[in-house]
Amino acid sequence: MSEKMKVTYYPGCSSEATGRHLDESIRAVMPEVGVEMADIEDWNCCGASVGHIGGGPLPTLALNGRNLANAKKQGNEHVMTPCAACYLNTHGSNLTIRDDEAKREKVNEALKAGGMEAYEGDLKVHHAMEVLVNFVGMEKIAERATNKLKGLKVAGWVGCQTVRPFAETDDGGNYDTYEEPEFLDDITRACGAEAVPYEKKTNCCGGSVAVMKPEKTLHLMKLLLEEAEKAGADVISTPCPLCQTNLEMYQDAINAKYGTNFHIPVVFPSQLMAVAFGMDPQKDAALQRNTIRAEKLEKLAKK
Amino acid sequence: MTAAIPATSRTYDLSFARWVRENVKGGDKMNLCMQCGVCSGSCPIGSEMDNGPRKTFMMVRAGMKDEVLSSTTLWNCTSCYRCYVRCPRGIPVTSIIQGLAAVAAKEGYADKEKVSNYYFSKAFWWSARSFGKTDERLVTMKYFFSFGLVEGIKRALANLKIALGMVKAGRMHIGMPHSIRNKSQLKAIIAKAAELESKG
Repeated sequence: MSEKMKVTYYPGCSSEATGRHLDESIRAVMPEVGVEMADIEDWNCCGASVGHIGGGPLPTLALNGRNLANAKKQGNEHVMTPCAACYLNTHGSNLTIRDDEAKREKVNEALKAGGMEAYEGDLKVHHAMEVLVNFVGMEKIAERATNKLKGLKVAGWVGCQTVRPFAETDDGGNYDTYEEPEFLDDITRACGAEAVPYEKKTNCCGGSVAVMKPEKTLHLMKLLLEEAEKAGADVISTPCPLCQTNLEMYQDAINAKYGTNFHIPVVFPSQLMAVAFGMDPQKDAALQRNTIRAEKLEKLAKK
Repeated sequence: MTAAIPATSRTYDLSFARWVRENVKGGDKMNLCMQCGVCSGSCPIGSEMDNGPRKTFMMVRAGMKDEVLSSTTLWNCTSCYRCYVRCPRGIPVTSIIQGLAAVAAKEGYADKEKVSNYYFSKAFWWSARSFGKTDERLVTMKYFFSFGLVEGIKRALANLKIALGMVKAGRMHIGMPHSIRNKSQLKAIIAKAAELESKG
């Protein structure tokens, strides 16, 4: 990509709370590789993994309809979000509104009740990782990464929702596979770090079930940590805000339950990029927001 | 000589399966299920489910409405979508399980003792509807206290260390919830959508 790409940005609720370091690092690195972002006006929650139960399928679709209709008014055909759940819901809802006439009519009737114009499903919704893969390209990331992360060993944990199930992009084709995606290791390498073998790339941490009933999912997270330790990883890199928070905040509980001694930092690929781009470790990479500090990565950061 | 085909003593009631086909997202694809079990075998949290998706689909076909809607299978799905992307017949398994959970919630099949997901979902939706955004602090607290005052305090204290760590890292704020500007618009949209949904 030589020219700039403009996207309407959907940060998602976690961007103001547990996922602030994802939002801050995405806002820092994207313009550096030619992606200009403008927030969706007055964006709302997407319904995440439980909206259909709490509020029902159609109200959840309408939540996403409101965001998309607001994005549409801003006149840019590309919508981008860095959050796995936001992507799944926004992209999935966009396809439903585009392809299912009966649902589209109902959503538009709901939007009309809020004084909004009808939306036809004609925007393109992208995950931030897809934008890096398909629009920016690894060469451009590698070129911009002037502060190579030499010697840093990174386990690339994609998580589940980022590559499922609507990873067929609006521009046709996938941006990666469901089972063995490579993009995360590609980003690691473009930053000059070493991507260690990590078989459990698309394993689930338990998602929202880990939040409501951690005891049901601690064994899933233990698998992820064991594998990273075995591979000798200094940090785990994941693009998903819930994956990052879960795997970080439950390490104490896992250690207490299984008698282990895990203390593995979990960071976002955009944090790796910010450091590799030689940007500010706090303001841009937001490394101070990791509750398990990534000390080796912090040492590589330009002061 | 082959034995005569025995007369069956039970008949399958297909009315529930037909209802699911027409009313649950993805339900129209459920007929394609060949009971291979890739979905249940792929589930990361199958050990927490009584039936799993494969058996659930067969139970829908068998008309076992009460058993399906009171099943723990509906409430333990983590929405990882591995069953969905692996199904050799292209059935949107996750969507169907989620859709059945939504039906069970609406029809009053959620038992407080075993269905934490339902109470979490209600707390979550309360935040989304009231502020237009998820306030992780309030959703978690409301969820904890939906099991009573004592249990609420117990759970809140158990998570205090995590919460303080988040506050220190600036990932949990003190003060009013983050909120969208046009809350009345969102409320009108949600109310209309809920009305249309209840009409079917």
